[in-house]
Amino acid sequence: MSETLLKVSDVATAYGAIEALKGVSLSAADGEITCLLGPNGAGKTTLMMTIAGILKPRRGSITLRGEEVAGRAPRHIVERGIALVPENRLVFPDMTVEENLRAGAFSRDDAAEIGRDVEAMFTRFPRLRERSAQNAGTLSGGEQQMLAISRALMARPKLLLMDEPSLGLAPLIVEDIFRIIRELNAEGTTIFLVEQNAHMALRIANHFYLIEQGRVVFDGTPGEVEEEEIIKRAYLGTEV
Amino acid sequence: MIVDFVQNTLDGIFVGSSYSLLAIGFTLIFGVMRRLNLSYGPSIMLGTFAGTLLFVEFEAGLLAVAAATLAGAVLAGVYVERVCFWAIRRGAALASMVSSFAIWMQLEEIVTVVFPDRTYPFPPLADFALEPGPFFVRGDHLVMFACAAAITVLLHLLLYRTRFGLALRAVSRNPAAAAFVGINTGLVLFSAFALASAIGGVAGYLIAAADQQITPFFGLWATFKGLIAMTLGGMGSIPGAIAGGLLLGIIEAHSGWYLGTEYRDLSAYAVLFAFLVFRPGGLFAQRQTLRSQLAARRV
Repeated sequence: MSETLLKVSDVATAYGAIEALKGVSLSAADGEITCLLGPNGAGKTTLMMTIAGILKPRRGSITLRGEEVAGRAPRHIVERGIALVPENRLVFPDMTVEENLRAGAFSRDDAAEIGRDVEAMFTRFPRLRERSAQNAGTLSGGEQQMLAISRALMARPKLLLMDEPSLGLAPLIVEDIFRIIRELNAEGTTIFLVEQNAHMALRIANHFYLIEQGRVVFDGTPGEVEEEEIIKRAYLGTEV
Repeated sequence: MIVDFVQNTLDGIFVGSSYSLLAIGFTLIFGVMRRLNLSYGPSIMLGTFAGTLLFVEFEAGLLAVAAATLAGAVLAGVYVERVCFWAIRRGAALASMVSSFAIWMQLEEIVTVVFPDRTYPFPPLADFALEPGPFFVRGDHLVMFACAAAITVLLHLLLYRTRFGLALRAVSRNPAAAAFVGINTGLVLFSAFALASAIGGVAGYLIAAADQQITPFFGLWATFKGLIAMTLGGMGSIPGAIAGGLLLGIIEAHSGWYLGTEYRDLSAYAVLFAFLVFRPGGLFAQRQTLRSQLAARRV
C-alpha cells in the first residue's frame, strides 16, 4: 500500500440549510487512481468543489500529504498541488485555446517553463495545437474536455481531481479520455475521479468509494467485490 | 444642409467619445461583477470636485487638477467597491445595486456640504479651435477624442496582452473557474473597479474641462449617460460601450439641432426605449450559450 496523498476526514458541506455532505471520509493513495461512484445528487461534485476550495466545508479536515487545506482559498490549494477538471469542463469559451492553457498556469510564475508546458500539451493533444488560436467555445465537447484536462495539468498538480470527464461525450471519445487518464497516472499523477460511467471507472481504478446521500457507504478494490451490485448502486442508489 | 449634418455628426462623435469612456467604466464593472454600480457617476463627480478644490483654493495647474480628479474618482470608486460589492457577496445583485444607490446619496451629500455653492468653475483644457473648411472643431473636443481613443487602445492591450487582462477576462466569464485555476478573484474584482473608476475619472475630467464648470448633479448626469450608452451598446461589452457612447453622442447632436435642445435628452430616451424593445441585448449583444450559463450558475 502506497502513501496517502489526499485525506478527507469527516467533511460536511452545506448549501444554506441543505447539507450535501454529511461527514465524508476517504483518502487517495499516492500514484493511484481513486474513483468516487454514486448516483446523481449524492454529493460527488460538492466533494470535488470542497476539496478544490470553491466551497467551504462546515467541518472536517482535508489534508494533502499531511498539510491541512480545508477552507483555504482555491488559489492556495492549486499552489499546493491540487488541480480540478470540473464537471461540464468550464473552459473559458471566449478565450483562445492557448489562453485557456496559460490561465491554467496562473498559480505559477516561471514563464519559460509555462511556455514549455503549453508545447507539451500541444504535443499530447495535437487537436489543441491545430486550434490554439481558436476560441475555446468553438471546440467540440471532446476537445473541450481535452482542454479542461490540459488546463488543469498546466498547474503541474500532484493530485488531479476529475469530475465526470466522460459526461456527454461520444463512446469513442470516452475511450480516449480514459486512455489519457491512465497515461497521466502512469506518468506519476495521482487521480481522484468522479464518474457516472461506473463500468469504465472500475476498469481503471485502484480503489473506489461509493457515496450515497452525502455519506460514503462502501469502499473497496475493483475485482474483489461483486461489480454488478456496485454498479447498480452507483446508478440507482438502491440499497444492497 | 449637408454641412450642418456633418458638423453635427462630428460634434456627436466628439462628445460621444466621452460617453464611451463613461460606458467603458460602467461595462467593465458590470462585466466582472454582473452587478450594476449606480454610484459610478457620483464617484466621478466627487473626483471632479477634488479637482476643482485644488483649482479654486490653490490655483493649481492643469496636471494637478487632472491628477486630483483621477485620484478622487478612484478613491471614491474603491470605497463603493468595498461597501457595496465586496461586503455584499455574489448572488445578492439587487442588494449591491440598492446600496450603491444609497452611497450615491451619501457622496452627493458630502459634496453639497463641503461645496455649498452648487456651481463651481473648472479650469479649461485647451482654448483653441480648428476650422477645417466649413467645419468647426473645439480643441478640448479633439483632446477628449484623442484620450478616449488612447484609453481604448491601452485597455485592449491590457485585456489581451497581459496576465492581469487574462485574469480579468477569466473572472468576468466564470468566477468559479477562474478561482480554481489559481486566480485571486477578489483582487481582480477590486483592481477592475479601480481601473473603471480611473477611466471614469479621465472622462469626468475631460467633460468638466470642456464645460468649464461642475455641479453636484454631474453624478446623476454621468450615471445616466454611461448607463444609456452601455445599454445601447450591450451590457458588459467594451466594443459595445464605445459604439453606444458614440451613438448616443450623435443622436443627441442631431436631435438637439433639428428638433431643439429641449428634445435632445428625450430623443436619447426614445432611442433607448426602442433598443430595449427591439434589441434588448444592445448593438453588441453578448452571446452566451445556455449550457455555459447554467454551468456557471451551478457553482
